[in-house]
Amino acid sequence: MKERIIEEKKVILRHHPIEIVEHWVLALSGFLLIFSGFGELPMYKRFMVTKIPGLGWAGDFFINLKIHYLAGIVFFSFMIFHALYHGWLGHKGLLPKKGDIKASIQTILAMFGFGEEPKAHKYLPEQRLAYAYLGGVGLILLITGVVKVIKNLPGVFLPPGLITLTTLTHTFATIFFLLGVIAHLAALIFKVNRPLAKSIFTRKVDLNYAKERHTLWYEELMKEKEKVEFIKEKMESEEEYQKREGSETEDPASN
Amino acid sequence: MNEKNALTRRDFLKKGAMASAVGVAVNAGMIQTASAKAGTYATLIDLTKCDGCNNEPMPKCVEACRRENEKKFPNPVEPIKDLWPQKTHDDWSKKKDVINALTPYNWTMVQKVDLEGEEIFVPRRCMHCDNPPCARLCPFGALNKFSNGAVVINHDLCMGGAKCKAVCPWHIPQRQSGVGPYLKIQPIPAGGGVMYKCDFCHDRIKRGQIPACVEACEKRLGAKRPLHFGIRETMLKMAHERAKEINGFIYGEKENGGTATLYVSKVPFEEINAKLKEMKSNLLMGKVLNPLHDVNGWAKGFIFGPLLSALAAIGLAIYHRREEKREEEK
Repeated sequence: MKERIIEEKKVILRHHPIEIVEHWVLALSGFLLIFSGFGELPMYKRFMVTKIPGLGWAGDFFINLKIHYLAGIVFFSFMIFHALYHGWLGHKGLLPKKGDIKASIQTILAMFGFGEEPKAHKYLPEQRLAYAYLGGVGLILLITGVVKVIKNLPGVFLPPGLITLTTLTHTFATIFFLLGVIAHLAALIFKVNRPLAKSIFTRKVDLNYAKERHTLWYEELMKEKEKVEFIKEKMESEEEYQKREGSETEDPASN
Repeated sequence: MNEKNALTRRDFLKKGAMASAVGVAVNAGMIQTASAKAGTYATLIDLTKCDGCNNEPMPKCVEACRRENEKKFPNPVEPIKDLWPQKTHDDWSKKKDVINALTPYNWTMVQKVDLEGEEIFVPRRCMHCDNPPCARLCPFGALNKFSNGAVVINHDLCMGGAKCKAVCPWHIPQRQSGVGPYLKIQPIPAGGGVMYKCDFCHDRIKRGQIPACVEACEKRLGAKRPLHFGIRETMLKMAHERAKEINGFIYGEKENGGTATLYVSKVPFEEINAKLKEMKSNLLMGKVLNPLHDVNGWAKGFIFGPLLSALAAIGLAIYHRREEKREEEK
């Protein structure tokens, strides 16, 4: 499946089903990791989260640990999948580009009504930065998390200094990861971002919205569409010409 | 009992010096492997020989432990605030004299168990597990298992959340509120003090000395002492020999995956545990499975899961590349 304009439905097909699965599996396992990770801090009992109906188990460190391990395996596996699959196919749309910081500030200021938003590609500049931020912090969590899994194994002795450093990095990186997720979700506060959020459920984004905001992407897709249509037309006319030529040469023979 | 296998002070100093030299080299290179386990020390407590120092005002091991660790005891800042939103906090600073419980000011105690007319005295403190859930699960890395076998709390890093106490099968660590790094982040309601427990006299071991409790016991009873300290393998061998000799039982060899505190008794530990339960003691001696056992079984998932997904990613990418090419050719 290639991203393309579907004129009759006034939408652009923005995401491949694989991207939808990746996003939601990482989101769900990420949520479970954050919840069970905070459960590993001794806070759910103290702050009475365990009193919330259905969350009585949340104060049990070993239940949280089991959830953390299982969600960790899924998260790790999908991060590897994501890196290899998109890396192999050369997808670079979400990788930060030069000038993204400046463009992000302009985009965010425009959301508050200051200045004009720069024309964006398939992804907004701050989406690329958010991707790099969450990916980077996620990678730190992944590496330190794997070290923590290793150190839990019986008979494994890692230097105490390394364990303390790894543990503290993992704990504090979690806070930065959570802040990133909150910022990612907070984008929905702004009405202007909402049509974009639809695409992570439906795979499609409104054509007019894309034309307005993701102008560079829209123009690129239009060019491609025109190119395809031009080739199609050319091929059709060639076929017709050949048909005609064929029928003309066949005529005398039939006589 | 075969005392030949017990570590003499001279042997210990020799081995200690060697271990220290290795330790320095290892620390310099930041390398520690499972082989370090070979140099792990342990204490053997022979319950057939402990009389609880019943003619003394305080058991000698308890007294020596308190003296040795006095400088590490907490000095809380008054007034100690409740751990919001809870309306409680832990304060042992007004009960420093308590010796019949583990507290931040008392890291060793002796339990007296009456079993059908026979009195058994059980010295209790941190078991220094081989795979300690407290150290493995501390979210701040404030607890560490050292290659000499000691499980030590870093009081400068401990936030006092008391998770170590919750995950310890014996609930050994004890909290003192009003002290420690959590005070620096107040009024943010996180942490609750500092946790305290026996540290196996980690500093003494590093200096080539034996733990204070063992030394005090040795001073009082000499060769008849119930407390022994040495390389874990030697202590375990001694425990087995003694158990065979008295037709007795061992505690700590397999409990929680193995500990650096071994007990030998002629009375089954199930009976001691049942009596402790009857006495409503919160420091039991039951059978303990390491609570990390389950998740450790799942650790392979961190290899196989990503491996499978890597294969799937490459397979799908190749398929989609071919599909794209076919579409382009069309």
